[in-house]
Amino acid sequence: MDSSVHLDNVVMKFGDFTAIQQSDLKIESGEFFSFLGPSGCGKTTILNMISGFLDPTEGAVKIGGEDMRGVPANKRPTSMIFQNLALFPLMTVAENIEFGLEVRGVNKRDRKKASDRLLELVALPDSADKQVSALSGGQKQRIAIARALAVEPRVLLLDEPLSALDLKLRQHMRTELKEIQRKTGITFIYITHDQGEALTMSDRVAVMSAGQIQQVADPITLYREPVTDFVASFVGENNAFKGSIQDINGSEIVVDCGPLGKLVGKGVGALTKGQEATLFIRPEHISLIPVVEGNSFDVTIKEINFEGAYLTLNAETTYGHSLAVQIGSDQYSSNMTPGAHISLSYHNKDAVVISGGENV
Amino acid sequence: MFKQLKARFGGGLAIAILSIIAVWLIALVILPQLLMVDYSLRPNLLPSELGGEKDTYSLINYETLFANKIHLTIFLKTIWSSVLVTLLTLCVSYPLAFYLAKVATPGQAALCILLLIIPFWINEILRTFSWYIILAYKGPLNSLLLALGLIDRPMRFMTGDGAVMLGMVYAYILFMIFPIYNAIENLDMNQIKAARSLGAGWIRTHYRIIIPHAKPGIATGCIMTFMLAAGSYAVPALLGSPGSRWFTQIIYNWFFEGGNWNQGAAYAFLLLLICIGFIALVMRIFKVGLGDIAR
Repeated sequence: MDSSVHLDNVVMKFGDFTAIQQSDLKIESGEFFSFLGPSGCGKTTILNMISGFLDPTEGAVKIGGEDMRGVPANKRPTSMIFQNLALFPLMTVAENIEFGLEVRGVNKRDRKKASDRLLELVALPDSADKQVSALSGGQKQRIAIARALAVEPRVLLLDEPLSALDLKLRQHMRTELKEIQRKTGITFIYITHDQGEALTMSDRVAVMSAGQIQQVADPITLYREPVTDFVASFVGENNAFKGSIQDINGSEIVVDCGPLGKLVGKGVGALTKGQEATLFIRPEHISLIPVVEGNSFDVTIKEINFEGAYLTLNAETTYGHSLAVQIGSDQYSSNMTPGAHISLSYHNKDAVVISGGENV
Repeated sequence: MFKQLKARFGGGLAIAILSIIAVWLIALVILPQLLMVDYSLRPNLLPSELGGEKDTYSLINYETLFANKIHLTIFLKTIWSSVLVTLLTLCVSYPLAFYLAKVATPGQAALCILLLIIPFWINEILRTFSWYIILAYKGPLNSLLLALGLIDRPMRFMTGDGAVMLGMVYAYILFMIFPIYNAIENLDMNQIKAARSLGAGWIRTHYRIIIPHAKPGIATGCIMTFMLAAGSYAVPALLGSPGSRWFTQIIYNWFFEGGNWNQGAAYAFLLLLICIGFIALVMRIFKVGLGDIAR
């Protein structure tokens, strides 16, 4: 069955405020797709448009190629898992799961069969008759998933459902969600502001900012080749150096960063000489060892944190740029103390140059 | 309670506060009621016979109601009509309460609540009188219906119980709306969205999610409306006809026209007892506890 979701040039306005700028996006059947962005970027509005709680001002939401305009939420082939889960507190676990089937007029025996099967799937086989209030956070989470899956949706919408869980449980639920998605083959559309969640679970991620989709890509591309300065600084840690483009040699771009000198990086998108641009270097791409075909700068260590497998340094260049650096614990030496002067360098191919830089 | 008050206000003030409450409860609530119980159990005697051999306690005043077919019929009708008033008020109030709590914007809700409250700044008797005017034989409602050609000649609205019930629904609507409004208001919007997302239509969403959640509010509203309706005097007195007397009017007559306070007190207690019993029964049927109502 075709369970693709197509946002066909949708625009969403609330009065004068444009919550979603014109966006065109196709989510494939059976894909685990995430919308990632800070709060207020419009990702929940997108979810509400797909689920039918809102109709777009312009354009159309198409599920399986079918235009959903005017189809109310209860008639759409979607089901939603809410941030606060919204389990029905006056019903038992089984009644919660069976609610969607009860609505569809499924008889009691088949409902029971379905809820037993789903409780098996979410690994809570003996809790059918429990009250919702008797469950732990993680168990509630699973019941919410089971309830949403019970109606056999073509598209499952998840609105930051893991945000209320503690770290360990959250990491565990990530694997479990991914596993359930693989088993059921349903299209998962996941909303989150947590990039860890988006990057680990998703087949593709759309990064959003201020109602605009910035980039749609698989997690690795998103991390390695951000196309906008927002994506570069929002996804993962990044060090930004503003400057103007001095020279273009194929894909190598030379950026004049004022007193820091000329830094070289890989260009993304259309760039022209003389243009304002920002060069981004990930903390883990900065090295203590001088590299060939690279740039280096002298810094003072401000702060040093031991994180187990790696160290994070907070350093400052001679000209006052602060810089985050991540190095393997094996590179630690006892003279790395706050106030110490060291020299850092990076490979040109690891740096990314993006035009503009107003979001940095 | 004394400990908490003492910790907060000191011993002297705590004693003062508690004694004021005690005086209020005992002198103004409990003692008058006990006096009425005493009245209801004694026969109506001339002043000279008080304390004489006829002045004995008996249940005779209570038996009168069951011996008098007319009074008993009015008594039962009052209970039944109060039930109908309660149900009618619930039907009118629930959609309005839902609208106020979940659909209206804050501005609309405030305006709506203001419009609901303003008439209640006027005395109940005057409000009921305005219905008397509206429903009168030559009143505006008849004129309107005549002008619209819906009727050929004026109708008598105030003959049966209809006008009384209408007046009561209007008089007690706030006591129903606010508890339900409060109950629905604190329902998480996501519960409604979750039910919708799982395929539930509006009717099912109401009776499976919203109404069960609002049950304590509905129960509170129903109890208040029922008690007020069963104990109402002004509305049936103004909008009723001799054929639609309310039990409270009979109690009134015993006290102030028959001059028989003992009989009146017995009738009043019977009304109170039946109402309490009826409410306890309804709460049991709908599985609502006192704790739910206090929420």
